Amino acid sequence: MTAPLLQVRDLNLRFATDEGLVTAVESASFELEAGEILGLVGESGSGKSVTAKALMHLNAKNARYGEQGCITLNLGSGPVDVLSLRRERDMRVVRGGAISMIFQEPMASFAPAITIGQQMIEQLLIHTKTTRKQARALAIEMLARVGIADADKRIDQYAFQLSGGMRQRAMIAMALSTSPKLLIADEPTTALDVTIQAQVIDLMKDLVSEFGMAILFITHDLGVIAQTADKVAVMYLGRIVETGPVRAVLKNPLHPYTQGLLNALPRLDAFDEPLTPVPGDIPSPLERPAGCVFHTRCELAQNGRCDTEVPQVVAASDAHAAACHVVADALEARV
Amino acid sequence: MSESAQQSTDVGVSDQQRKEAYFTASQAQLIWSRFRKNRSAMVAAAVLVGMVLMGWFAPFLSPYDPTIAGRDKDYQNGAPQIPMFRDHNGFSWRPFLHTPERTRSIKTNFRWVTTLNKEKRRYVYFFVKGWEYHLFRLDLDLPGKALDIRWRFLKFERHLFGIDSGGIHIFGTDAAGKDIYARTLQAVWTSLAVGTIGVMISFVLALVIGGISGYLGGWVDSVIQMLTDAIRTVPAIPLFMALAAFVPDEWSAETRFFFISIILGLIGWPTLARRVRTHLLTERAQEYVLAAQLCGASSAHVIRRHLLPSFTSYIIVDLVISFPYMVLSETALSFIGLGLKDPVNSLGVMLQNVTKADVLLNYQWYFIPVIFFMALVLAFVFVGDGLRDAADPYSDRHR
Amino acid sequence: MSAPVSSETAPPLVSVDGLSVHFPLGHGLFGDKTVVRAVDDVSLEIRKGQFVGLVGESGSGKTTLGRAMLNAVPVTAGAVVYQDEEVRYDLGHVTKAELKDYRKRAQLIFQDPYAALSPRMTVRDIVAEPLEVMRLTGSREETDARVREVAMRCRLNLEHLRRFPHAFSGGQRQRISIARALVCEPHFLVADESVAALDVSIQADILNMLKSLQQDLGLTFLFISHDLSVVAHTCDVVAVMYLGSLVEVAPTHQLFRSPKHPYTKALLSAMPSLDPDDKSSDQRLTGEIPSPTNPPSGCRFHTRCPVAIERCKSEVPKQEAAEDGHRVACHRWAELHNPD
Repeated sequence: MTAPLLQVRDLNLRFATDEGLVTAVESASFELEAGEILGLVGESGSGKSVTAKALMHLNAKNARYGEQGCITLNLGSGPVDVLSLRRERDMRVVRGGAISMIFQEPMASFAPAITIGQQMIEQLLIHTKTTRKQARALAIEMLARVGIADADKRIDQYAFQLSGGMRQRAMIAMALSTSPKLLIADEPTTALDVTIQAQVIDLMKDLVSEFGMAILFITHDLGVIAQTADKVAVMYLGRIVETGPVRAVLKNPLHPYTQGLLNALPRLDAFDEPLTPVPGDIPSPLERPAGCVFHTRCELAQNGRCDTEVPQVVAASDAHAAACHVVADALEARV
Repeated sequence: MSESAQQSTDVGVSDQQRKEAYFTASQAQLIWSRFRKNRSAMVAAAVLVGMVLMGWFAPFLSPYDPTIAGRDKDYQNGAPQIPMFRDHNGFSWRPFLHTPERTRSIKTNFRWVTTLNKEKRRYVYFFVKGWEYHLFRLDLDLPGKALDIRWRFLKFERHLFGIDSGGIHIFGTDAAGKDIYARTLQAVWTSLAVGTIGVMISFVLALVIGGISGYLGGWVDSVIQMLTDAIRTVPAIPLFMALAAFVPDEWSAETRFFFISIILGLIGWPTLARRVRTHLLTERAQEYVLAAQLCGASSAHVIRRHLLPSFTSYIIVDLVISFPYMVLSETALSFIGLGLKDPVNSLGVMLQNVTKADVLLNYQWYFIPVIFFMALVLAFVFVGDGLRDAADPYSDRHR
Repeated sequence: MSAPVSSETAPPLVSVDGLSVHFPLGHGLFGDKTVVRAVDDVSLEIRKGQFVGLVGESGSGKTTLGRAMLNAVPVTAGAVVYQDEEVRYDLGHVTKAELKDYRKRAQLIFQDPYAALSPRMTVRDIVAEPLEVMRLTGSREETDARVREVAMRCRLNLEHLRRFPHAFSGGQRQRISIARALVCEPHFLVADESVAALDVSIQADILNMLKSLQQDLGLTFLFISHDLSVVAHTCDVVAVMYLGSLVEVAPTHQLFRSPKHPYTKALLSAMPSLDPDDKSSDQRLTGEIPSPTNPPSGCRFHTRCPVAIERCKSEVPKQEAAEDGHRVACHRWAELHNPD
């Protein structure tokens, strides 16, 4: 059995700010196999974006990683411990080479003063051993592959000349041109209109099956996850509260937060039912609740237990696990 | 919501108080607390406050009148005299100086030569009575004797230190015998005063002109910006030369001082106006301004309640940062003789005589005031930077 | 969900008739003036007590339409008429005094809770500002009493009133925005993407609050959103816009159960469903949304419409009544739905 492409174990991430050490991610663990799409779902303050940036060591200088945390990439040539890479040279292999990232705001990731073609070619020249001519041909091919018409003309355009959807596609093309093993997509469709979003999601699924790569898909939109991901990990205030296959998590959510989230979502297929919000507000990262991070908003919270003891991850079935005392009790009772 | 209240009451209560203080802190308080954490800015602020106090109390701190009236004829171009506590004769609690004596004889080719008599001691005393001064003094010579302003308050005679005989010049003296230490302190004060007046004038102009430009936008904005840019391109030195030629000789030094300050202010406003306009243009587009307008708020209300407070913090930063430019401009002007003249004293005036080789080779203490001015300008710059970092919530300063 | 009682015979609270809002872009020195046709010939009626949803993607003109109803953007053509039991205002021809009065009756709730509150004013001052500007109260005590009352209704307690906006989360700030909009006791509220910037778990809370305000205070809402599922849950009537034109208006149930316009159908199928097994991608739209500076001729949707014919390229479709309260602007809706 081959090792998974990406293994994250006990990732702890804190930021040194003026107000003290703020915990962004705590004991996050997950795995990703090649060809799999893992959805990382969470709301604001859940830590999903910084987790993704940690994979490429892209966090700001005031990020402090925990000692026991470990991010391992299993590329063909042996395991790479990302967090121990210090030199820019070593990081380069990982960034853009094995892992590519696409962002929410495509205008922000294209340099405004050079054409898209120049940027894509530059990336190819850094990460692959191609000539400039070959790189240009490859770039045109990728642009066409992502559905941009007149790719040979578009390649010489500037980012502001493309519409939002096309920029996002161009960014996907640029990310894929180096044939990465892992694509991290940080809210790639949030800024797009619904009809364009649907096109981009279809495109990403096609590309996964064609390129055989893995995608870490970060979003707050459960609907998008339902349609794209194979596995999903739900994050709340820096902790992963539930993981599992997408069908299992969405149809039989274990964790009260996941349940609350699904109940709070307005659904097109059930719009006569009332919306039930999750009570309370997301605590600010400066006021992290003790024990289970969700207990301040949980209706099932038990005094004396949920507010002091951090729940361990318990598995309900194959690969479907949650970190909750109540769930743990229910599972024990079943046995 | 917060669980900390259930923990030990002491921690909980003070924690809650701290959080409540953070929640109810106004923008100004937040900026101040951020500023306080910036060590270099706090040091610079202390230096700045120190210099202002030194300038304000300059007459108290100086044993001699910095003008011609207080010169020491016996000690011209004299080296700095630092009081000491011990010499070959022993230790003394009271600091003292040796006595310089001037002799002339055939041995020295009949030139006056100053030697130090190491046997005669002169002792330094504190809080001595000396020349009269006013802590607040305003003399304005306006056209027509009746309109002349003479305001003098707080007359004192005490000075911080003095010596029982002869002179004590801790920074030395210049060619006429004027105490450089006293003149330095006075120069600091004059530069601060010129800077303040200049900055105030340019600020008022910038606020009005930049404000109209930024708030109205459209063609008014374009026209005003073109005028502003035109004024900015006028070269300052030739303009000053022209204006200096027009200054009547009868004007007293103080009047001349106000005139120069006003001119500096008039030259300095375009940069500030542009900044005011930029701030206004950004703030005007903010949604909370639109919210107020949708309630039918008048322009005056919007300006007063929303726009002005929002850019007060930025403008303060701009003001503090433009201060050093005023000071340096005035220094440059006075140095080439177009600015202030004796008895009004500034660094530029003090440096007027520095260009002679004689000074450079023999009387290096003439340059001591330069250190003070470097400290002053750097203090302003650091405080301005610190304020800007504190006021900008998105600045990328991570510890 | 039961629609509140609204008399069909009374005139609509807000009626928009043939409204066009065109923005000139840039001053072309050589006669080259691009015009953004944000809203083009839109007619819509909002009855008292209704919760009307206005959906569309970027460039649809929904925000502009909402602001035109509040007289916050200059109108190029057409009329917006506001009529309640006391007054009738044709917003194109109001005096200053009438406009001031209108501001009391119609308010706006913004999208971005972080930008809509002045960071230098306390919550109490923010909520009290409309009262002070419009001089609706006589004394400070009266203002304070009104502020407290409206704050309670929006579930903000008294200690919140002393704090500054930076102390609050997105959802709380949005409640402050709502309190500010409510304090002058308006009849008509435009909520411009008011939940778009909020987390899902908080979004439901704000939506429920808006609904209860509709029921308790008899308010009329225009809810602008790009999110169809949110609109489905909260609105009584939904209007769909595309590139400045109104393509379909219908009561919620009818719109979602039997949409008639091809764009509405495409929009509904593009929404990702929470059921991983529901893979209906048969109605995917191709192509990009055209720019509002250069909209397609005839029916604006024809460049992406799966069922467009020659006629669609040249002739602008008129709004036709499909069923009671259901209007469509499409040349082919009838033939595509017969027999139905």
